[in-house]
Amino acid sequence: MQEYLLLMVGAILVNNVILARFLGLCSFMGVTTRVDTAMGMGLATTFVITVSSMLNWAAQAYLLEPFGLGYLRTVVFILVIAGAVQFTEMTVRKVSPPLFQMLGIYLPLITTNCAVLGVALLLIEGRMSFIESTVFAFASSIGYSLVMVIFAGLRERLALAEIPRLFAGPPIGFITAGLLALAFMGFSGISTV
Amino acid sequence: MPETMHTLDLGPPDFVEGTARVVEVAGSTAWLEPEQTTSCGHCAASAACGAKGLGTIANRIAARRFALTDHPGLRVGERVVVGIRSDALVKAALTAYAIPLCTLFLGGGLAQWAWGQDGTTIVGAVTGLFLGLGAARLGAARLFAGGTSAPRFLRRAGPADCQPGLK
Repeated sequence: MQEYLLLMVGAILVNNVILARFLGLCSFMGVTTRVDTAMGMGLATTFVITVSSMLNWAAQAYLLEPFGLGYLRTVVFILVIAGAVQFTEMTVRKVSPPLFQMLGIYLPLITTNCAVLGVALLLIEGRMSFIESTVFAFASSIGYSLVMVIFAGLRERLALAEIPRLFAGPPIGFITAGLLALAFMGFSGISTV
Repeated sequence: MPETMHTLDLGPPDFVEGTARVVEVAGSTAWLEPEQTTSCGHCAASAACGAKGLGTIANRIAARRFALTDHPGLRVGERVVVGIRSDALVKAALTAYAIPLCTLFLGGGLAQWAWGQDGTTIVGAVTGLFLGLGAARLGAARLFAGGTSAPRFLRRAGPADCQPGLK
């Protein structure tokens, strides 16, 4: 149990997918104007990353590795991710059409999110078991959601602040993101091994 | 704050706003389609950006058409700002995604503890996922039963709402 907890702490804080690995920056800057929308996007991404990572692990273990098709890894993973997003859309639509109307806007944004592919490739590189890979993927996406919500809160405050004209908009956003990344560097001293 | 539908701007603190276009009016019911945006939507090339959902169901805007009852005389082609209660959005996201994820880990964890093999863990996780989706369906029905989670008309879109997107 302890190794899973350490794996989670490492994935959420120490090697945060946005602030340490700099993946998924597009939606990080675009969907963080409000805490509510950031939370919705974060939860949707968490679901897709966890499910697609499970499928990618199975594809790697039962298809690519046994048949020596490692050179097709990126293509197969992208197809699996697109399929996972389609599956999520179909199930959310089936579970509740009003839910789909409310949450459907986030789902196509996840298809092109590089953090989804990045997490899948990282867990293959780590040579983990299925349950470890799933925990790692889930924790990485929780870290993604956490940073999205924190950044959204900061941007809501920034919207009320007096910012010099030249820094208004994306510039102050990137400066804030950089300061947040520096703050998260403090977690790199935590030993997870 | 009174929750009237047609005349007051209920403001961003309570509602998550989005723009939509009226595509059909049938009596007191207006059908709207939300305006799609890119994942960033903030650069000059966003209108031509390819990162718009690449053929997914949700990219077909017609699939996300929704109804607005008791509309204030909307006409086809008008752009309006609609809002969803921010707490409803969070509850909806938790219902749709958190419940299946919890059951996924529960099923996978139990299978791993019982058998300790990757194959059986996968089966346990997938079983948990589908059970969770069923539970999410029940939770969603309860969530939307009261009608407070439906999109609401806030105002007609003006010059300040000319950039479509999530606000």
